[in-house]
Amino acid sequence: MDEEPEIAKRWEGGYERTWEVLKEDESGSLKATVEDILFQSKRKRVIESHGQVRLGMMRHLFVVVDTSRTMDDHDLKPNRLTSTLKLLEFFVDEYFDQNPISQIGIITTQNKRAQKLTDLSGNPKKHITALKKAVDTTCIGEPSLYNSINLAMQTLKHMPGHTSREILIVLSSLTTCDPANINELVKTLQGLKIRVSVIGLSAEVRVCTVLTRDTGGSYNVILDECHFRELLMLHVKPPPASTSSECSLIRMGFPQHIIATMSEQDAKPSFSMAHLDSTGGPGLGFGGYYCPQCRAKYTELPVECKVCGLTLVSAPHLARSFHHLFPLDAFQESPLEELTGERFCQACQGQLKDQSVFTCPVCRTVFCVECDLFIHDTLHCCPSCIHNQGMS
Amino acid sequence: MASEEEVSLLVIVLDVNPIWWGQQAQREPEFTLSKCLDAVMVMANSHLIMTRTNKLAIIASTCQESHFLFPSKHWEDATATSGDGKYELLSVANDLIAEEIKALIGRTEVKGNQTDTLLAGGLAKALCYIHRISKQLDAGQDMKSRILVIKAAEDCALQYMNFMNVIFAAQKQSVLIDACVLDSESGLLQQACDITGGLYLKVPQKVALTQYLLWVFLPDSDQRSQLVLPPPVHVDYRAACFCHRNLIEIGYVCSVCLSIFCNFSPICTTCETAFKIQLPHMVKAKKKKVKPVT
Repeated sequence: MDEEPEIAKRWEGGYERTWEVLKEDESGSLKATVEDILFQSKRKRVIESHGQVRLGMMRHLFVVVDTSRTMDDHDLKPNRLTSTLKLLEFFVDEYFDQNPISQIGIITTQNKRAQKLTDLSGNPKKHITALKKAVDTTCIGEPSLYNSINLAMQTLKHMPGHTSREILIVLSSLTTCDPANINELVKTLQGLKIRVSVIGLSAEVRVCTVLTRDTGGSYNVILDECHFRELLMLHVKPPPASTSSECSLIRMGFPQHIIATMSEQDAKPSFSMAHLDSTGGPGLGFGGYYCPQCRAKYTELPVECKVCGLTLVSAPHLARSFHHLFPLDAFQESPLEELTGERFCQACQGQLKDQSVFTCPVCRTVFCVECDLFIHDTLHCCPSCIHNQGMS
Repeated sequence: MASEEEVSLLVIVLDVNPIWWGQQAQREPEFTLSKCLDAVMVMANSHLIMTRTNKLAIIASTCQESHFLFPSKHWEDATATSGDGKYELLSVANDLIAEEIKALIGRTEVKGNQTDTLLAGGLAKALCYIHRISKQLDAGQDMKSRILVIKAAEDCALQYMNFMNVIFAAQKQSVLIDACVLDSESGLLQQACDITGGLYLKVPQKVALTQYLLWVFLPDSDQRSQLVLPPPVHVDYRAACFCHRNLIEIGYVCSVCLSIFCNFSPICTTCETAFKIQLPHMVKAKKKKVKPVT
C-alpha cells in the first residue's frame, strides 16, 4: 500500500456546537448576527489567484453523468437526475462563456455500459438540447466507471498535445461494475495526461479518491443542491496546465461576417455546412461566415471547418479568455469605521452602509461589497484604474 | 403600454473630451458642447416622461475620470421648485446636469493634447450602477436597462482589453449598448453594439442630433422591432496580428497566451515559450524482398 495522507474523517472529530454561532446583543435581538452571516456568505468565495501559472485555455472536457438506479432518489428535488441535468445545462452555458474555444462531450452510464450522449463539440445548443431530452431516461442498473472512462479516452487520446484533456464524472452510486482492473486504467490515464475529477452525490468512495489523486483532479461530495452548483462552478475556470503539456502555435482562421441581401447582384443563397447533418429545415441563407481557406459557409462561430479542418474563431472569442491571463487583484478589506472622507462608493454612487469597504491596491478607490463582487466576478477590471492607465 | 412592474433604466455616457470639443467649437460654431447637452437633456426628459417608472443616469467621461452628472450626490439636497410650471423632476434634473457639467469642465486639467477618450471607465461605472439598482428593486419588478454612448473623439488604443471585458459583462447582464457617433467611426463601439444587440449610428448631421436621439435611441428594445431603424453595420471581426497590427484572415495563435501572429515563429514574443515544430513523419523505406529467380 502506498503512503496516503492522513485526512481526518468527519465522524472522528468532536461535537460541533452549532447553536453557539448565534449570539444575542443586549436587547435580545439577533440582528447583528444575521447581518454578519449574510455578509460572510457574500464573501464566501475565496479568490485564489494563481498568479503567473500557465493555464490550459483550450480544454476538451468529457462530462460523465451517472444514470443508474440511485439517480432516482428523491433527496435532490424532484429526483437526482432532473436536478443534475438542470445544473449541467447551466454549467454548459457558463463553461462556454468562460472558455469559448473549448469543447465539451457528454457520456451517460447505466446498466454496466456507457454511451455517448453528445460528441465533443464547441456548440452549446447541441448539448443543451441533448440534456433536455435526457430527462426522460429511465434509471436502471449500475454504472461502470471503467467503460465510461474508456469511452472518453478513445476520443481524448487523439486530441493535440497543447490542449488540456479532462473528464468530469458525476457519480451518485456507491458501486461500479468494471470489466477489467481499474488500476491499469489509471496508469493509462496518467500516461495520456488526462485529468479526472469526480463529484460524488452520495458518499466518498475509495476508488474515486485514488483515481482523482493519481490523475491530478479533485474529488468532492455534495452536501445539498447549492453546494453541488458551487462545485460545478469550480470546474468552469481553466485549470493550471500540467508541466508536460506542449505549447504550440495553432493555426486559426478569422472569417468575415458577410451580410448579403437579395437586392445585391452577386448574392447567391447557399447552404451552411453546419446544417448538413441536421434534419431541421433547408438551411438556405444569404449571409454567413466563409472559411478563408476553402470558402465553406457557416452560420455561427466558433466552429471547426468540416471541409479543411481549420478552426474558425472571431477575435472577441479569444478576448473572452484574456481575463484569465490577467486576473484582477483582490481588493483590500477594511472596516467602515476606519474610512476617512465621504462614505460613498465610487462605482455605483451608493452610500457605504456595510461593515467593510474594499480598496483597490493600485488606485486606492473605495468600493462597496456588491461592487466588489460584481467587479471580480463579471467585470474583471477596476473602473478607476482604467483612467490611470490612459494617463501614462 | 408598459405595466407598473417594468422598470426601464437608461444610462447615457457622454464623451466630454475638452480638447475635442474646443476644436469642434472652432470648426463648427453652430454645434458646441452646450448644444449637444441640450439635445441630451431633451432626450433625458423624454425618457423620464414616457413612463412613470423609467429611471435615468448620465455619466460624463473624460480622460482622467468619469463623473455621474445625474443622479449626483447633491440630489437629495436640491429643492424642487420650478419657475415655469414644468414637472419638478425634469427641472431639477436639468439644473443639476448643467451645474455638474460646469463643475466638471472647470476642474478638468487639460494635459497634453489627448484627443481620445477612455469610454471603458464610464461604461464600467454605468454597469456597476445598473447592478446596484437591479438589487434595489421591489419584489415582482423587472428591469430592462440599456446604455447609450455618445462619442465625440477617436478611440484610444490602450483600452481594448478593458473595453472587451466591459462588453462581455454587459452581454452577461443583458444590457444593450447603443452608440451614437458624432465624428469618426469606432470599431470598438461597432463590436459592442453587435455583441450586446444594440444600435450603432454615425450621425450624418450633428446639428440635428436631437432628432436622431429621439427617433433612433428613445424607443426601448421591445418597441424597436416595430420601427424602421438604420440597418446593422458590417462589423469587421478579423483579428490584428501582434507583430504588424495588420488584419489577418488566417493566423497562428499561441496556445499559452493567445497572442496572434501572422507567420510561424519558433518563439512567442509575448510569453516567450518555445514551440515544438511539427515535423512530417519519417517514412522508412521498405526493403524489397528479392524474389528467387527460378
